[in-house]
Amino acid sequence: MKRSQPQTKRSQAQAGAPPLTPFLLAGLALRPVPPALLQPFLTFSMRAIERRHPSLFERLSGVEEPEFLIDPTDLPFAFLLSIDPLLPTLTAYTDAEGLEPTATIRGPLMTLVHLLEGRIDGDAMFFSRDLVIEGDTEAVVALRNAVDGAEIDVVEDVLAFLGPLGSPARIAFQVGAAIFSRAATDMETLRSALIAPALKRSEAQAAELKDLEDKVAGLSQEPRRGRRRMPVKKTKKTDTE
Amino acid sequence: MSATMELVCPAGTPASLRAAVDAGADAVYVGFRDETNARNFPGLNFSRGELADGVAYAHDRNVKVLVAINTFPKAGNPGPWMKAVDDAHEIGADAVILADIGVADYAARNHADLRRHLSVQASASNPEAIRFYAEAFGIKRVVLPRVLTVAEIAALNTQIPVETEVFVFGGLCVMAEGRCSLSSYITGISPNKEGVCSPASHVRYEEEGDVLVTKLGECTVNRFSAGEPAGYPTLCKGRFLVKGKPQYLFEEPTSLSVIHMLPELAEAGVTALKIEGRQRGRAYVAQVVAAFRKALDAVATGEPVSAEELATVTEGRRETAGVYKRDWR
Repeated sequence: MKRSQPQTKRSQAQAGAPPLTPFLLAGLALRPVPPALLQPFLTFSMRAIERRHPSLFERLSGVEEPEFLIDPTDLPFAFLLSIDPLLPTLTAYTDAEGLEPTATIRGPLMTLVHLLEGRIDGDAMFFSRDLVIEGDTEAVVALRNAVDGAEIDVVEDVLAFLGPLGSPARIAFQVGAAIFSRAATDMETLRSALIAPALKRSEAQAAELKDLEDKVAGLSQEPRRGRRRMPVKKTKKTDTE
Repeated sequence: MSATMELVCPAGTPASLRAAVDAGADAVYVGFRDETNARNFPGLNFSRGELADGVAYAHDRNVKVLVAINTFPKAGNPGPWMKAVDDAHEIGADAVILADIGVADYAARNHADLRRHLSVQASASNPEAIRFYAEAFGIKRVVLPRVLTVAEIAALNTQIPVETEVFVFGGLCVMAEGRCSLSSYITGISPNKEGVCSPASHVRYEEEGDVLVTKLGECTVNRFSAGEPAGYPTLCKGRFLVKGKPQYLFEEPTSLSVIHMLPELAEAGVTALKIEGRQRGRAYVAQVVAAFRKALDAVATGEPVSAEELATVTEGRRETAGVYKRDWR
Protein backbone atom coordinates (compact mmCIF):
# COMPACT_ATOMS: atom_id res chain seq x y z
CA MET A 1 0.00 0.00 0.00
CA LYS A 2 1.39 3.37 -1.03
CA ARG A 3 2.02 5.74 1.84
CA SER A 4 1.47 9.45 1.61
CA GLN A 5 4.17 11.83 2.74
CA PRO A 6 2.44 14.26 5.09
CA GLN A 7 3.47 17.87 5.04
CA THR A 8 4.52 19.27 8.36
CA LYS A 9 2.46 22.10 9.82
CA ARG A 10 5.22 24.47 8.70
CA SER A 11 5.24 23.38 5.05
CA GLN A 12 1.45 23.30 4.99
CA ALA A 13 1.40 26.90 6.12
CA GLN A 14 3.68 27.76 3.22
CA ALA A 15 1.35 25.99 0.80
CA GLY A 16 -1.75 27.95 1.85
CA ALA A 17 -2.94 30.17 4.70
CA PRO A 18 -5.36 28.56 7.16
CA PRO A 19 -8.82 30.13 7.49
CA LEU A 20 -9.39 32.79 10.13
CA THR A 21 -11.59 30.89 12.58
CA PRO A 22 -12.04 30.74 16.36
CA PHE A 23 -10.17 27.44 16.18
CA LEU A 24 -7.15 29.24 14.79
CA LEU A 25 -7.02 31.51 17.85
CA ALA A 26 -7.83 28.65 20.21
CA GLY A 27 -5.14 26.63 18.49
CA LEU A 28 -2.56 29.33 19.14
CA ALA A 29 -3.49 29.22 22.81
CA LEU A 30 -3.32 25.43 22.77
CA ARG A 31 0.07 25.32 21.05
CA PRO A 32 2.04 24.81 24.31
CA VAL A 33 -0.33 22.01 25.36
CA PRO A 34 1.26 18.58 24.87
CA PRO A 35 -0.90 16.36 22.62
CA ALA A 36 -0.79 13.67 25.29
CA LEU A 37 -3.19 15.78 27.37
CA LEU A 38 -5.77 15.54 24.56
CA GLN A 39 -5.43 11.80 24.36
CA PRO A 40 -7.99 10.74 27.00
CA PHE A 41 -10.68 12.83 25.29
CA LEU A 42 -9.76 11.46 21.84
CA THR A 43 -9.81 7.87 23.08
CA PHE A 44 -13.14 8.47 24.82
CA SER A 45 -14.62 9.96 21.63
CA MET A 46 -13.43 7.03 19.53
CA ARG A 47 -14.97 4.51 21.93
CA ALA A 48 -18.24 6.47 21.80
CA ILE A 49 -18.31 6.50 17.99
CA GLU A 50 -17.22 2.86 17.75
CA ARG A 51 -19.99 1.77 20.09
CA ARG A 52 -22.72 3.84 18.46
CA HIS A 53 -21.69 3.22 14.82
CA PRO A 54 -20.30 -0.31 14.35
CA SER A 55 -21.28 -0.19 10.65
CA LEU A 56 -18.64 2.49 10.07
CA PHE A 57 -15.79 0.06 10.69
CA GLU A 58 -17.61 -2.78 8.97
CA ARG A 59 -17.77 -0.70 5.74
CA LEU A 60 -14.03 -0.18 5.94
CA SER A 61 -13.35 -3.91 6.17
CA GLY A 62 -12.35 -4.09 2.48
CA VAL A 63 -9.38 -1.78 3.07
CA GLU A 64 -6.31 -3.17 4.80
CA GLU A 65 -6.12 -1.41 8.20
CA PRO A 66 -5.48 2.06 6.84
CA GLU A 67 -4.08 4.99 8.81
CA PHE A 68 -5.41 8.46 7.99
CA LEU A 69 -3.70 11.70 8.94
CA ILE A 70 -6.52 14.15 9.61
CA ASP A 71 -4.93 17.58 9.43
CA PRO A 72 -7.09 20.59 10.40
CA THR A 73 -5.39 23.62 8.86
CA ASP A 74 -6.55 25.92 11.69
CA LEU A 75 -5.24 23.80 14.56
CA PRO A 76 -1.65 23.22 15.69
CA PHE A 77 -2.42 19.49 15.90
CA ALA A 78 -2.92 16.73 13.37
CA PHE A 79 -4.66 13.46 14.21
CA LEU A 80 -3.72 9.95 13.15
CA LEU A 81 -6.78 7.75 12.74
CA SER A 82 -5.85 4.05 12.76
CA ILE A 83 -8.58 1.72 11.55
CA ASP A 84 -7.75 -1.40 13.52
CA PRO A 85 -11.03 -3.37 13.38
CA LEU A 86 -10.50 -4.55 16.96
CA LEU A 87 -9.35 -1.25 18.44
CA PRO A 88 -9.52 1.86 16.22
CA THR A 89 -7.53 4.75 17.66
CA LEU A 90 -7.17 8.50 17.21
CA THR A 91 -3.86 10.08 18.24
CA ALA A 92 -2.86 13.76 18.26
CA TYR A 93 0.49 14.98 16.94
CA THR A 94 2.00 18.45 16.82
CA ASP A 95 4.44 17.38 14.12
CA ALA A 96 3.36 14.85 11.51
CA GLU A 97 6.84 14.50 10.07
CA GLY A 98 8.03 10.91 10.16
CA LEU A 99 4.51 9.50 10.08
CA GLU A 100 3.65 7.38 7.07
CA PRO A 101 -0.14 7.42 6.86
CA THR A 102 -2.04 5.63 4.13
CA ALA A 103 -3.57 8.96 3.21
CA THR A 104 -3.81 12.55 4.42
CA ILE A 105 -6.99 14.65 4.53
CA ARG A 106 -6.46 18.36 5.10
CA GLY A 107 -8.94 21.21 5.56
CA PRO A 108 -10.44 23.63 8.09
CA LEU A 109 -11.59 21.89 11.29
CA MET A 110 -15.27 22.75 10.86
CA THR A 111 -15.22 21.42 7.29
CA LEU A 112 -13.73 18.17 8.55
CA VAL A 113 -16.28 17.90 11.38
CA HIS A 114 -19.17 18.63 8.99
CA LEU A 115 -17.81 15.98 6.65
CA LEU A 116 -17.61 13.51 9.53
CA GLU A 117 -21.24 14.24 10.32
CA GLY A 118 -22.33 14.09 6.66
CA ARG A 119 -23.58 17.69 6.74
CA ILE A 120 -21.65 18.61 3.60
CA ASP A 121 -20.76 16.72 0.46
CA GLY A 122 -17.13 15.59 0.24
CA ASP A 123 -17.03 15.78 -3.56
CA ALA A 124 -18.34 19.36 -3.48
CA MET A 125 -15.59 20.29 -0.99
CA PHE A 126 -13.05 18.68 -3.30
CA PHE A 127 -14.40 20.53 -6.37
CA SER A 128 -14.15 23.84 -4.48
CA ARG A 129 -10.62 22.96 -3.32
CA ASP A 130 -11.60 23.37 0.35
CA LEU A 131 -10.32 19.86 0.96
CA VAL A 132 -6.89 18.46 0.13
CA ILE A 133 -6.38 14.72 -0.27
CA GLU A 134 -3.03 12.96 -0.57
CA GLY A 135 -2.00 9.32 -0.63
CA ASP A 136 -4.17 6.28 -1.19
CA THR A 137 -7.35 7.62 -2.79
CA GLU A 138 -9.15 4.28 -2.48
CA ALA A 139 -8.74 4.35 1.30
CA VAL A 140 -10.02 7.95 1.44
CA VAL A 141 -13.07 7.11 -0.69
CA ALA A 142 -13.82 4.11 1.54
CA LEU A 143 -13.51 6.28 4.67
CA ARG A 144 -15.69 9.01 3.17
CA ASN A 145 -18.42 6.54 2.22
CA ALA A 146 -18.24 4.73 5.56
CA VAL A 147 -18.39 7.95 7.56
CA ASP A 148 -21.17 9.42 5.42
CA GLY A 149 -23.25 6.30 5.86
CA ALA A 150 -22.75 6.12 9.62
CA GLU A 151 -24.78 9.26 10.49
CA ILE A 152 -22.32 10.39 13.11
CA ASP A 153 -23.20 13.28 15.38
CA VAL A 154 -20.03 13.96 17.34
CA VAL A 155 -21.70 15.85 20.18
CA GLU A 156 -24.66 13.50 20.55
CA ASP A 157 -22.41 10.44 20.38
CA VAL A 158 -20.13 11.71 23.14
CA LEU A 159 -23.00 12.96 25.30
CA ALA A 160 -24.82 9.64 24.95
CA PHE A 161 -21.67 7.81 25.99
CA LEU A 162 -21.39 9.95 29.13
CA GLY A 163 -24.51 8.40 30.65
CA PRO A 164 -25.77 10.32 33.71
CA LEU A 165 -23.16 13.03 33.11
CA GLY A 166 -24.70 13.67 29.70
CA SER A 167 -27.23 16.27 30.88
CA PRO A 168 -24.79 18.68 32.59
CA ALA A 169 -22.34 18.13 29.75
CA ARG A 170 -25.09 19.06 27.25
CA ILE A 171 -25.69 22.36 29.07
CA ALA A 172 -21.95 23.06 29.07
CA PHE A 173 -21.81 22.27 25.38
CA GLN A 174 -24.72 24.56 24.56
CA VAL A 175 -23.01 27.43 26.40
CA GLY A 176 -19.78 26.67 24.56
CA ALA A 177 -21.60 26.50 21.20
CA ALA A 178 -23.18 29.91 21.81
CA ILE A 179 -19.77 31.39 22.63
CA PHE A 180 -18.29 29.77 19.55
CA SER A 181 -21.08 31.11 17.35
CA ARG A 182 -20.50 34.67 18.61
CA ALA A 183 -16.74 34.25 18.20
CA ALA A 184 -17.20 32.96 14.65
CA THR A 185 -19.31 36.02 13.77
CA ASP A 186 -16.72 38.34 15.33
CA MET A 187 -13.93 36.60 13.46
CA GLU A 188 -15.81 36.95 10.18
CA THR A 189 -16.22 40.66 10.85
CA LEU A 190 -12.52 40.90 11.64
CA ARG A 191 -11.64 38.94 8.50
CA SER A 192 -13.80 41.23 6.36
CA ALA A 193 -12.16 44.31 7.89
CA LEU A 194 -8.67 42.89 7.34
CA ILE A 195 -9.20 42.00 3.71
CA ALA A 196 -11.30 45.07 2.82
CA PRO A 197 -8.35 47.19 1.55
CA ALA A 198 -7.00 44.29 -0.52
CA LEU A 199 -10.50 43.57 -1.83
CA LYS A 200 -10.94 47.20 -2.86
CA ARG A 201 -7.62 47.13 -4.73
CA SER A 202 -8.59 43.85 -6.35
CA GLU A 203 -11.95 45.25 -7.52
CA ALA A 204 -10.24 48.33 -8.94
CA GLN A 205 -7.75 46.13 -10.81
CA ALA A 206 -10.58 43.95 -12.12
CA ALA A 207 -12.41 47.04 -13.42
CA GLU A 208 -9.19 48.29 -15.03
CA LEU A 209 -8.62 44.88 -16.62
CA LYS A 210 -12.17 44.81 -17.97
CA ASP A 211 -11.68 48.27 -19.43
CA LEU A 212 -8.47 47.14 -21.14
CA GLU A 213 -10.16 44.00 -22.47
CA ASP A 214 -12.97 46.10 -23.95
CA LYS A 215 -10.43 48.40 -25.60
CA VAL A 216 -8.52 45.42 -27.05
CA ALA A 217 -11.79 43.93 -28.32
CA GLY A 218 -12.66 47.25 -29.93
CA LEU A 219 -9.22 47.53 -31.56
CA SER A 220 -9.43 44.03 -32.99
CA GLN A 221 -12.75 44.89 -34.66
CA GLU A 222 -11.77 48.30 -36.04
CA PRO A 223 -9.49 47.20 -38.89
CA ARG A 224 -12.17 44.74 -40.04
CA ARG A 225 -14.70 47.57 -40.34
CA GLY A 226 -12.24 49.80 -42.17
CA ARG A 227 -10.82 47.08 -44.42
CA ARG A 228 -11.49 47.62 -48.13
CA ARG A 229 -12.69 44.63 -50.05
CA MET A 230 -10.49 43.41 -52.86
CA PRO A 231 -12.33 43.10 -56.16
CA VAL A 232 -13.06 39.48 -57.01
CA LYS A 233 -11.93 38.45 -60.43
CA LYS A 234 -14.81 36.81 -62.28
CA THR A 235 -13.99 33.52 -63.94
CA LYS A 236 -16.00 31.55 -66.44
CA LYS A 237 -18.07 28.79 -64.81
CA THR A 238 -17.21 25.33 -66.06
CA ASP A 239 -19.37 22.21 -66.29
CA THR A 240 -17.26 20.35 -63.79
CA GLU A 241 -18.27 22.59 -60.87
CA MET B 1 -49.04 17.15 -20.62
CA SER B 2 -48.12 14.77 -17.83
CA ALA B 3 -47.27 16.70 -14.71
CA THR B 4 -46.60 13.72 -12.50
CA MET B 5 -43.17 12.61 -13.56
CA GLU B 6 -41.53 10.24 -11.10
CA LEU B 7 -38.43 11.49 -9.28
CA VAL B 8 -35.83 8.70 -9.19
CA CYS B 9 -33.03 9.43 -6.73
CA PRO B 10 -29.63 7.90 -5.92
CA ALA B 11 -28.52 6.24 -2.69
CA GLY B 12 -25.11 4.75 -1.99
CA THR B 13 -25.77 4.01 1.67
CA PRO B 14 -28.80 3.39 3.88
CA ALA B 15 -28.35 6.90 5.28
CA SER B 16 -28.57 8.35 1.75
CA LEU B 17 -31.65 6.24 1.04
CA ARG B 18 -33.39 7.70 4.07
CA ALA B 19 -32.23 11.20 3.06
CA ALA B 20 -33.66 10.73 -0.44
CA VAL B 21 -36.98 9.40 0.86
CA ASP B 22 -37.27 12.19 3.41
CA ALA B 23 -36.43 14.85 0.80
CA GLY B 24 -39.25 13.79 -1.51
CA ALA B 25 -38.07 10.98 -3.80
CA ASP B 26 -40.72 8.89 -5.57
CA ALA B 27 -38.20 6.10 -6.09
CA VAL B 28 -34.65 5.43 -4.91
CA TYR B 29 -32.15 3.40 -6.89
CA VAL B 30 -29.40 1.43 -5.17
CA GLY B 31 -26.85 -1.34 -5.78
CA PHE B 32 -25.44 -4.30 -3.93
CA ARG B 33 -21.94 -4.07 -2.50
CA ASP B 34 -20.20 -5.84 -5.38
CA GLU B 35 -19.37 -5.65 -9.08
CA THR B 36 -22.96 -6.22 -10.22
CA ASN B 37 -23.61 -2.47 -10.36
CA ALA B 38 -21.95 0.48 -12.05
CA ARG B 39 -21.00 2.28 -8.82
CA ASN B 40 -18.82 -0.39 -7.25
CA PHE B 41 -16.86 2.04 -5.07
CA PRO B 42 -15.07 1.14 -1.82
CA GLY B 43 -17.25 1.55 1.26
CA LEU B 44 -20.36 2.15 -0.86
CA ASN B 45 -23.60 0.26 -1.50
CA PHE B 46 -25.87 -2.13 0.32
CA SER B 47 -25.56 -5.49 2.00
CA ARG B 48 -28.61 -7.70 1.62
CA GLY B 49 -29.69 -6.87 5.16
CA GLU B 50 -29.28 -3.14 4.62
CA LEU B 51 -31.36 -3.33 1.46
CA ALA B 52 -34.16 -5.18 3.25
CA ASP B 53 -34.21 -2.43 5.90
CA GLY B 54 -34.08 0.24 3.19
CA VAL B 55 -36.97 -1.29 1.27
CA ALA B 56 -39.05 -1.41 4.47
CA TYR B 57 -38.25 2.26 5.21
CA ALA B 58 -39.12 3.35 1.68
CA HIS B 59 -42.28 1.26 1.33
CA ASP B 60 -43.58 2.56 4.66
CA ARG B 61 -43.46 6.01 3.03
CA ASN B 62 -44.86 4.90 -0.33
CA VAL B 63 -41.51 5.21 -2.08
CA LYS B 64 -40.21 2.58 -4.52
CA VAL B 65 -36.77 0.96 -4.45
CA LEU B 66 -35.05 0.05 -7.72
CA VAL B 67 -31.96 -2.17 -7.70
CA ALA B 68 -29.30 -1.50 -10.32
CA ILE B 69 -27.76 -4.73 -11.61
CA ASN B 70 -26.35 -2.96 -14.57
CA THR B 71 -22.88 -4.24 -15.31
CA PHE B 72 -22.07 -7.04 -17.75
CA PRO B 73 -21.18 -10.46 -16.30
CA LYS B 74 -17.69 -11.67 -16.91
CA ALA B 75 -17.46 -14.61 -19.29
CA GLY B 76 -18.02 -17.84 -17.41
CA ASN B 77 -19.17 -16.18 -14.18
CA PRO B 78 -22.77 -14.95 -14.43
CA GLY B 79 -23.57 -16.27 -10.93
CA PRO B 80 -23.25 -13.01 -8.93
CA TRP B 81 -25.57 -11.19 -11.37
CA MET B 82 -28.25 -13.90 -11.23
CA LYS B 83 -27.95 -14.06 -7.45
CA ALA B 84 -28.40 -10.29 -7.33
CA VAL B 85 -31.63 -10.59 -9.35
CA ASP B 86 -32.86 -13.39 -7.07
CA ASP B 87 -32.05 -11.40 -3.93
CA ALA B 88 -33.61 -8.19 -5.21
CA HIS B 89 -36.80 -10.14 -5.89
CA GLU B 90 -36.77 -11.86 -2.52
CA ILE B 91 -36.12 -8.62 -0.64
CA GLY B 92 -39.09 -6.98 -2.36
CA ALA B 93 -37.50 -4.45 -4.68
CA ASP B 94 -39.97 -2.72 -6.97
CA ALA B 95 -37.80 -3.16 -10.07
CA VAL B 96 -34.36 -4.16 -11.26
CA ILE B 97 -32.35 -2.00 -13.65
CA LEU B 98 -30.56 -4.30 -16.11
CA ALA B 99 -28.09 -3.89 -18.95
CA ASP B 100 -27.00 -7.37 -20.04
CA ILE B 101 -29.37 -9.40 -22.23
CA GLY B 102 -28.42 -12.64 -20.45
CA VAL B 103 -29.31 -11.15 -17.06
CA ALA B 104 -32.49 -9.66 -18.51
CA ASP B 105 -33.46 -13.05 -19.91
CA TYR B 106 -32.75 -14.72 -16.54
CA ALA B 107 -34.90 -12.16 -14.72
CA ALA B 108 -37.76 -12.51 -17.23
CA ARG B 109 -37.77 -16.29 -17.06
CA ASN B 110 -37.32 -16.69 -13.30
CA HIS B 111 -39.05 -13.64 -11.84
CA ALA B 112 -41.72 -12.60 -14.30
CA ASP B 113 -43.44 -10.52 -11.61
CA LEU B 114 -40.30 -8.44 -10.97
CA ARG B 115 -40.49 -5.22 -13.00
CA ARG B 116 -37.55 -4.77 -15.34
CA HIS B 117 -36.01 -1.46 -16.41
CA LEU B 118 -33.31 -1.10 -19.04
CA SER B 119 -30.20 0.64 -17.72
CA VAL B 120 -28.50 3.51 -19.51
CA GLN B 121 -25.58 1.07 -19.63
CA ALA B 122 -27.43 -0.83 -22.39
CA SER B 123 -27.14 2.34 -24.51
CA ALA B 124 -30.47 1.75 -26.26
CA SER B 125 -31.34 4.98 -28.03
CA ASN B 126 -33.43 4.03 -31.08
CA PRO B 127 -36.97 2.60 -31.35
CA GLU B 128 -35.83 -0.69 -32.88
CA ALA B 129 -33.43 -1.48 -30.04
CA ILE B 130 -35.91 -0.47 -27.34
CA ARG B 131 -38.75 -2.47 -28.92
CA PHE B 132 -36.46 -5.50 -29.02
CA TYR B 133 -35.77 -5.26 -25.27
CA ALA B 134 -39.49 -4.80 -24.59
CA GLU B 135 -40.57 -7.75 -26.70
CA ALA B 136 -37.75 -10.14 -25.73
CA PHE B 137 -37.43 -9.42 -22.01
CA GLY B 138 -40.57 -7.58 -20.99
CA ILE B 139 -38.70 -4.35 -20.26
CA LYS B 140 -41.16 -1.75 -18.95
CA ARG B 141 -38.94 1.31 -18.84
CA VAL B 142 -35.81 2.46 -20.63
CA VAL B 143 -33.28 4.84 -19.09
CA LEU B 144 -32.22 6.87 -22.10
CA PRO B 145 -28.57 7.55 -22.90
CA ARG B 146 -27.62 11.19 -22.67
CA VAL B 147 -27.38 11.60 -26.44
CA LEU B 148 -30.89 12.73 -27.39
CA THR B 149 -32.42 16.18 -27.68
CA VAL B 150 -35.82 16.83 -26.09
CA ALA B 151 -37.39 16.79 -29.58
CA GLU B 152 -35.81 13.41 -30.29
CA ILE B 153 -37.08 12.05 -26.96
CA ALA B 154 -40.59 13.27 -27.80
CA ALA B 155 -40.43 11.54 -31.19
CA LEU B 156 -39.04 8.35 -29.61
CA ASN B 157 -41.86 8.26 -27.08
CA THR B 158 -44.39 7.98 -29.90
CA GLN B 159 -42.62 4.94 -31.33
CA ILE B 160 -41.99 2.69 -28.32
CA PRO B 161 -44.29 0.72 -26.02
CA VAL B 162 -42.38 1.47 -22.80
CA GLU B 163 -41.82 4.32 -20.34
CA THR B 164 -38.77 6.56 -20.64
CA GLU B 165 -36.55 7.80 -17.83
CA VAL B 166 -34.02 10.58 -18.41
CA PHE B 167 -31.13 12.02 -16.42
CA VAL B 168 -31.79 15.54 -15.17
CA PHE B 169 -28.90 16.25 -12.80
CA GLY B 170 -25.41 15.11 -11.87
CA GLY B 171 -22.31 13.61 -13.39
CA LEU B 172 -22.32 13.75 -17.15
CA CYS B 173 -20.96 10.75 -19.03
CA VAL B 174 -20.19 11.99 -22.52
CA MET B 175 -19.31 8.61 -24.01
CA ALA B 176 -21.52 5.79 -25.34
CA GLU B 177 -22.45 4.38 -21.96
CA GLY B 178 -21.78 0.71 -21.41
CA ARG B 179 -19.32 0.76 -24.29
CA CYS B 180 -16.60 3.13 -23.12
CA SER B 181 -13.17 1.60 -22.63
CA LEU B 182 -11.12 4.72 -21.85
CA SER B 183 -10.78 3.93 -18.16
CA SER B 184 -10.14 0.24 -18.89
CA TYR B 185 -7.36 1.20 -21.28
CA ILE B 186 -5.46 3.01 -18.54
CA THR B 187 -6.31 0.92 -15.47
CA GLY B 188 -7.16 -2.56 -16.76
CA ILE B 189 -10.39 -2.37 -14.74
CA SER B 190 -13.62 -2.15 -16.73
CA PRO B 191 -16.46 0.20 -15.74
CA ASN B 192 -18.81 -2.08 -17.64
CA LYS B 193 -17.75 -5.35 -16.00
CA GLU B 194 -16.29 -4.31 -12.65
CA GLY B 195 -18.55 -1.33 -12.14
CA VAL B 196 -16.12 1.48 -11.60
CA CYS B 197 -14.88 4.18 -13.96
CA SER B 198 -11.56 5.75 -12.90
CA PRO B 199 -11.21 3.42 -9.90
CA ALA B 200 -9.97 5.14 -6.76
CA SER B 201 -7.24 2.52 -6.46
CA HIS B 202 -5.63 4.07 -9.55
CA VAL B 203 -6.32 7.75 -8.77
CA ARG B 204 -3.73 10.05 -7.25
CA TYR B 205 -4.08 13.69 -6.22
CA GLU B 206 -0.82 15.57 -5.92
CA GLU B 207 -0.33 19.13 -4.71
CA GLU B 208 2.45 20.93 -6.56
CA GLY B 209 2.50 24.22 -4.67
CA ASP B 210 -0.90 25.74 -5.45
CA VAL B 211 -1.49 23.44 -8.41
CA LEU B 212 -3.60 20.30 -7.97
CA VAL B 213 -2.49 17.50 -10.26
CA THR B 214 -4.93 14.61 -10.83
CA LYS B 215 -3.63 11.34 -12.17
CA LEU B 216 -5.19 8.09 -13.31
CA GLY B 217 -2.54 5.41 -13.31
CA GLU B 218 0.51 6.97 -14.92
CA CYS B 219 -1.62 9.38 -16.96
CA THR B 220 -1.96 13.01 -15.85
CA VAL B 221 -5.63 13.85 -16.32
CA ASN B 222 -5.59 17.49 -15.29
CA ARG B 223 -3.71 20.30 -13.58
CA PHE B 224 -5.91 22.76 -11.72
CA SER B 225 -4.32 26.11 -10.95
CA ALA B 226 -4.80 27.92 -7.63
CA GLY B 227 -8.47 28.56 -6.93
CA GLU B 228 -9.65 26.79 -10.09
CA PRO B 229 -12.56 24.44 -9.32
CA ALA B 230 -11.57 20.80 -9.66
CA GLY B 231 -13.28 17.88 -11.39
CA TYR B 232 -13.29 14.10 -11.29
CA PRO B 233 -10.20 12.32 -12.61
CA THR B 234 -12.01 10.82 -15.61
CA LEU B 235 -10.22 10.75 -18.94
CA CYS B 236 -13.27 12.02 -20.86
CA LYS B 237 -13.00 15.26 -18.88
CA GLY B 238 -9.22 15.42 -18.93
CA ARG B 239 -7.21 18.41 -20.09
CA PHE B 240 -4.40 17.28 -22.35
CA LEU B 241 -1.59 18.95 -24.24
CA VAL B 242 -2.66 19.43 -27.85
CA LYS B 243 0.01 21.01 -30.02
CA GLY B 244 1.59 22.30 -26.83
CA LYS B 245 -1.60 23.84 -25.44
CA PRO B 246 -3.65 22.33 -22.58
CA GLN B 247 -7.17 21.64 -23.87
CA TYR B 248 -10.24 19.66 -22.96
CA LEU B 249 -10.64 17.11 -25.76
CA PHE B 250 -14.12 15.77 -25.04
CA GLU B 251 -15.83 17.69 -22.22
CA GLU B 252 -14.90 20.08 -19.44
CA PRO B 253 -15.52 19.24 -15.77
CA THR B 254 -19.21 20.03 -15.53
CA SER B 255 -22.48 18.51 -14.34
CA LEU B 256 -25.78 18.07 -16.10
CA SER B 257 -28.63 20.23 -14.83
CA VAL B 258 -31.96 20.68 -16.59
CA ILE B 259 -34.08 21.76 -13.64
CA HIS B 260 -35.50 24.52 -15.85
CA MET B 261 -36.50 22.07 -18.61
CA LEU B 262 -38.92 19.94 -16.60
CA PRO B 263 -42.04 21.27 -18.40
CA GLU B 264 -40.42 20.46 -21.76
CA LEU B 265 -39.54 16.94 -20.60
CA ALA B 266 -43.10 16.39 -19.36
CA GLU B 267 -44.38 17.64 -22.71
CA ALA B 268 -42.07 15.14 -24.43
CA GLY B 269 -43.83 12.30 -22.62
CA VAL B 270 -41.04 11.42 -20.19
CA THR B 271 -42.23 9.23 -17.28
CA ALA B 272 -39.34 9.53 -14.83
CA LEU B 273 -36.49 11.88 -13.99
CA LYS B 274 -33.21 10.48 -12.74
CA ILE B 275 -30.71 12.22 -10.49
CA GLU B 276 -27.18 10.85 -10.81
CA GLY B 277 -24.88 10.39 -7.83
CA ARG B 278 -24.96 7.16 -5.84
CA GLN B 279 -21.30 7.88 -5.06
CA ARG B 280 -22.12 11.27 -3.53
CA GLY B 281 -22.76 11.99 0.15
CA ARG B 282 -26.15 12.18 1.78
CA ALA B 283 -25.89 15.99 2.01
CA TYR B 284 -25.79 16.10 -1.81
CA VAL B 285 -28.72 13.68 -2.05
CA ALA B 286 -30.83 15.68 0.39
CA GLN B 287 -30.06 19.02 -1.28
CA VAL B 288 -30.58 17.94 -4.89
CA VAL B 289 -33.66 15.79 -4.26
CA ALA B 290 -35.33 18.59 -2.27
CA ALA B 291 -34.61 21.08 -5.08
CA PHE B 292 -36.11 18.79 -7.73
CA ARG B 293 -39.08 17.89 -5.54
CA LYS B 294 -39.84 21.59 -5.19
CA ALA B 295 -39.38 22.13 -8.92
CA LEU B 296 -41.63 19.19 -9.84
CA ASP B 297 -44.33 20.39 -7.46
CA ALA B 298 -44.11 23.81 -9.08
CA VAL B 299 -44.48 22.27 -12.55
CA ALA B 300 -47.49 20.24 -11.39
CA THR B 301 -49.32 23.38 -10.26
CA GLY B 302 -48.24 25.41 -13.28
CA GLU B 303 -45.97 27.67 -11.29
CA PRO B 304 -42.56 28.77 -12.56
CA VAL B 305 -39.59 26.71 -11.42
CA SER B 306 -37.52 28.79 -9.04
CA ALA B 307 -33.81 29.11 -9.61
CA GLU B 308 -32.39 26.71 -7.06
CA GLU B 309 -28.74 27.10 -6.21
CA LEU B 310 -27.24 23.75 -7.11
CA ALA B 311 -23.96 25.04 -8.52
CA THR B 312 -22.09 24.34 -5.27
CA VAL B 313 -22.48 20.59 -5.75
CA THR B 314 -21.69 20.43 -9.47
CA GLU B 315 -18.44 19.08 -10.87
CA GLY B 316 -16.07 21.91 -11.65
CA ARG B 317 -18.82 24.10 -10.10
CA ARG B 318 -20.34 24.40 -13.59
CA GLU B 319 -23.49 23.01 -15.18
CA THR B 320 -24.80 22.33 -18.66
CA ALA B 321 -28.03 21.25 -20.34
CA GLY B 322 -25.87 18.80 -22.30
CA VAL B 323 -27.38 17.21 -25.38
CA TYR B 324 -30.97 18.08 -24.41
CA LYS B 325 -30.24 21.43 -26.00
CA ARG B 326 -27.82 20.62 -28.77
CA ASP B 327 -26.77 24.21 -29.36
CA TRP B 328 -23.60 23.30 -31.21
CA ARG B 329 -25.42 21.53 -34.04
